[in-house]
Amino acid sequence: MHANPAAIQAADLTKRFGKFTAVDHVTFEVGRGELFGLLGPNGAGKTTLIRILTTLLRPTSGQAWVAGHDVIRAPRRVRQEIGVVPQALTSDLELTAWQNLDIYGQFYGLPRAARHARADHLLAMVGLRERAHDMVATYSGGMRRRLEIARGLIHMPRVLFLDEPTLGLDPQARRAVWELLEQLRAESELTISLTTHYMDEAEKLCDRIAIIDGGKIVASGTTQQLKAMVKGSDRIKLEVTGDPTSAITALRGLPYVLEISQDSDGAITIATADGAHATPQMIERLEQAGAKIQAMSIEQISLEDVFLSFTGRHLREESTSRAAPLPDPLFAPAQPRRIT
Amino acid sequence: MKKSWAIMRRDLIKLSRAPALVVASVVMPVLFLVIFGNSLQGQLKHLPLVIVSQDQGPYGIRVLERIQALAAGPQTITISYRHDPGKALQEVRVGHYKAALVIPPDFSRDIIAGRIGELGLFVDNVDSISTAALKAVVGQATATLRSNYVTAREPKLNEIALRSSNLFVTVDYDRSLIPGVIVMALFMGSMTSGVFNWIMDRFSGVTEAHLVTPLSPWNIASGLLASSVLATTCEAILVLIAGLALTGGGIAGGMRALGMLCGVIVLTGTGLLAMMFAMYSRTSNPRLIGGPASFLNMILFFPSGALYPIESLPPWLHSFTRWNPETHAIRALKSVMFKGADFAAISADVAFLAAFTAIMLLLAAATLKRSL
Repeated sequence: MHANPAAIQAADLTKRFGKFTAVDHVTFEVGRGELFGLLGPNGAGKTTLIRILTTLLRPTSGQAWVAGHDVIRAPRRVRQEIGVVPQALTSDLELTAWQNLDIYGQFYGLPRAARHARADHLLAMVGLRERAHDMVATYSGGMRRRLEIARGLIHMPRVLFLDEPTLGLDPQARRAVWELLEQLRAESELTISLTTHYMDEAEKLCDRIAIIDGGKIVASGTTQQLKAMVKGSDRIKLEVTGDPTSAITALRGLPYVLEISQDSDGAITIATADGAHATPQMIERLEQAGAKIQAMSIEQISLEDVFLSFTGRHLREESTSRAAPLPDPLFAPAQPRRIT
Repeated sequence: MKKSWAIMRRDLIKLSRAPALVVASVVMPVLFLVIFGNSLQGQLKHLPLVIVSQDQGPYGIRVLERIQALAAGPQTITISYRHDPGKALQEVRVGHYKAALVIPPDFSRDIIAGRIGELGLFVDNVDSISTAALKAVVGQATATLRSNYVTAREPKLNEIALRSSNLFVTVDYDRSLIPGVIVMALFMGSMTSGVFNWIMDRFSGVTEAHLVTPLSPWNIASGLLASSVLATTCEAILVLIAGLALTGGGIAGGMRALGMLCGVIVLTGTGLLAMMFAMYSRTSNPRLIGGPASFLNMILFFPSGALYPIESLPPWLHSFTRWNPETHAIRALKSVMFKGADFAAISADVAFLAAFTAIMLLLAAATLKRSL
């Protein structure tokens, strides 16, 4: 048992598949009760990292502890403490939802009465009580995903790993999964580790986010902290009457203005670290310069911009362009090599 | 143990939700029994023979009478008559008849004159089995042609009499196929359950979901093996019951024999399932099972003695049958089913099957260890 109170701790974790490094000296901590997001494109190393933390893969080097147990030295204890909702939908289609939960309860050695009660409770929680005794084959993708979350909770784990839990779901089903996770957070002290490549999902759900790219964590923190790390996290958009060049000249040199550019439609975009304080100064300067403001808006940069800032690439472009040539550890090894 | 039971329970529930698979595993071997058993009845019947008799003499007539008697008795042949030998030969060539027997005009005259009487038998020798049967029939009809009658009295002291006695009840060919069909059902069961479910689970990511729980790989494999042994045993027993019902009759030896049959079935099923695990546990795609496993089924089944005596096989293939588990399983099942054999009589085959099963379980464990 590790003395560190963190629910998850990774120290210099590295995983190589031949010459390809899937996880590259990753270090991070997740506090108890925290919802921690790993955000990155396909092939970034998220799933490999989760596989190491859930004892499916042995790291090439480094150490990790989950719920205080060493994933290499005490994998059985780790398995007893974690629930995992894998990326693929793996509930048995020929079984009912209730049977799926009951059998998983048996895997954890739960007594019959306890697992029956737990199955009933969880099915009610995920909104599947009415369909509990229907075969899973008749479920929609969203229902199956909710069942998988219930399955991951059957033994009351201390840490729940969710690997791309809303992948392939329609917006309504995604929202249902989000609500379920928020409900879980509200009702328990459960620590949740969530991997996703959806910005909005990470932003909405996670207490802290780590941006992972090329197997490395390039930045981590709360959403606000991540945005603040980017130079000019507020964007002010202006439309002025007349020639915008004179307005641009007037705005240059103001203390809060970090970057200024003209869009193709003639609008001016100003990058600033503090939009609230920069705006009055800009208005005053423009009035002095005789420019008349037609429209003005302030918006904070998105996680997409944060990702772009740290990696130099757009997340969605990455998802499509880089996933193919990389040896995806999901499919590269024919079978998981679990630490025994 | 409880965790293995959970896997076994899961597998059995899934199997119960796929009745078509269970029905196919039983019906297909039974269909094989019905079709194959009736296709090859062991003895040939009603081979079409056309006769052109150009001799009205006593020996020509005697040949005809004897062949007609053989056609009426064992019914090996069905006779037609033609006047024109050329037309008869043409009809053999085009496949209307298996052979044409031509009795030439001077056949009787030659025999009476002390010369060799010659008959012409023109056969469709492409079909060697029918040709041999037809030659035997005509040879039988002409063997004692010079004797005026065949005696029915006891042989004299200086003659040798051969009396053949059946030690066991008569077993028709289709009934003799039942042990082979049972083993076929076991093999098919080992293809469609056990390692197939293992590979499907790995292919669809279910195994990975299991491996992040406290289940060990041995819990998973032993649970799958146990459920598959149970399922294939039930299927084989259903095939046994259906086979007995279709061919008539029961099992020599009653309940004791039934117990031994079940023992041989469980042992054989476990061995075949373990063999499939040893061969395929490292395979990641379920599509890789079908073709090679069907081929293996043929390789083991045809030289097993299920359809034809292994004594008919060439020496190299005969040697292979000694190491073929299906040969031992079928021999043990036949001994118990048809001969009422006790355990001592089948102990050598059971010992081989037990050793085979133990080796395959060890091999399966070794491949499983490397594959996880």
